[in-house]
Amino acid sequence: MSERVVFWYGCNVLRHGDIIHAAIALLRAIGLEVAPAGGPGYCCGTTKDGNLRAAEGMARRTVDKFNTLTQALDGQRLVTWCPSCHRHMDQFMGEYTDPRFAMSHFTQILHAERDRLRQRLVRPVERRVVLHRHSGFREVDVNPLVEDLLDLVPGLERVPGGPSVPGHMCSALAGLPPVMKDVTRGVRELAAGASASDVVTVFHSCQRMLCGLEQEEPFRVVNYVSLLAESMGLDLEDDYKRWKAAGDAEAVVAAIGQPAVERAGERFVREQIVPEMLRRPPR
Amino acid sequence: MSAAPTDPVSSRAGVEATADRPGSLREFIDRFARDTLERCTRCGRCYEACPMTPYEPRLAGARGGSVVEGLLPMLRGERGSEQALDWVRICTQSAACNDACPEGIHAMRMLRVARMSALGQLGAPAQMSAPEDPLFFRRIEAFAATQLDEAQIEEWHRADPATRGAR
Repeated sequence: MSERVVFWYGCNVLRHGDIIHAAIALLRAIGLEVAPAGGPGYCCGTTKDGNLRAAEGMARRTVDKFNTLTQALDGQRLVTWCPSCHRHMDQFMGEYTDPRFAMSHFTQILHAERDRLRQRLVRPVERRVVLHRHSGFREVDVNPLVEDLLDLVPGLERVPGGPSVPGHMCSALAGLPPVMKDVTRGVRELAAGASASDVVTVFHSCQRMLCGLEQEEPFRVVNYVSLLAESMGLDLEDDYKRWKAAGDAEAVVAAIGQPAVERAGERFVREQIVPEMLRRPPR
Repeated sequence: MSAAPTDPVSSRAGVEATADRPGSLREFIDRFARDTLERCTRCGRCYEACPMTPYEPRLAGARGGSVVEGLLPMLRGERGSEQALDWVRICTQSAACNDACPEGIHAMRMLRVARMSALGQLGAPAQMSAPEDPLFFRRIEAFAATQLDEAQIEEWHRADPATRGAR
């Protein structure tokens, strides 16, 4: 019987359903049975530093649910996507609750089974790519793991090196505009210096905060799982990036599409989602 | 160059539960704070390794030992110095401080606990604010509604974990 795992994707990655679907497909491609879990009901509570009572309640709730879920699946491994969730479980949640599962990051699982994954990467992806790195996710050294995974893709040329920027992903820098300005300038220089067709992001918040560069730069911004999925023959569009490229507010609403707008709530979409789509990375 | 072989298990904390596990978040924080206060030599190398300090003009010329000296009271639930608060504000969890500490203190967690203290969670009055986005989860639900289908939302977000399967 294949191993059953819980795939904890987190909250903010829900802006990029393509990343979630690609990640699940990749886990299945290496022979795992996957139970995805995420959203507010599985929030780690890492944003609650100003309300520790809430933070503890959310942590206990989430760990209890993962204990139940892993037991129900006869599994014992939680596979994380989000570095904030992983870090919060590692540094706080797991220290005072009773998690009865092992935890691995998605990159570790995929990298450990890369020989198996390689067999599924059959479609050439003719791109010249360079990796956008952060230095801060020390719990797992993801950058070399992602580089190895990219090197499995036939046709893909990876330009090595490039600087690492602070924080564990770009959302950590969101409240510091001068820093984010330096990061986006660095991404432009990185792509130009490497003559890259694509800048590859590791985490969802980097994809979210950098994909708007495509409107003004000659390179694509793409997450590494999208490239792996493409090589598997999957066509998963980054809707968030497409919406950002749509144009004005009405064009964004049209790009999201009426059925999705109605499911999300039209007023909320117009007041909260559209302004986010119209924001661009700082220059 | 290929990455070094990786143990795909990052953490076994829960699987290898210990008898003296703290019973609450506050108890864990208090134990961590006591240990840090006992071991920290105020050398300031954690501060000096931080890649973010150049972005805060008020920290120009600050001495690492002095900033750390001003931060440690926050671990006891007391007020921190202005420079310590500036350092806490610009922390982006780069973890460079962890590598720098000669005592092996988890300096990044030290700053996170100091932040909790500065937000008024460890006894002292709040010295800084961090407004929460009241629409954070509403926003997540809205994006989920555009990215997942109803069945996925029901199973992946809301279903009773005791009754779920894997595919």
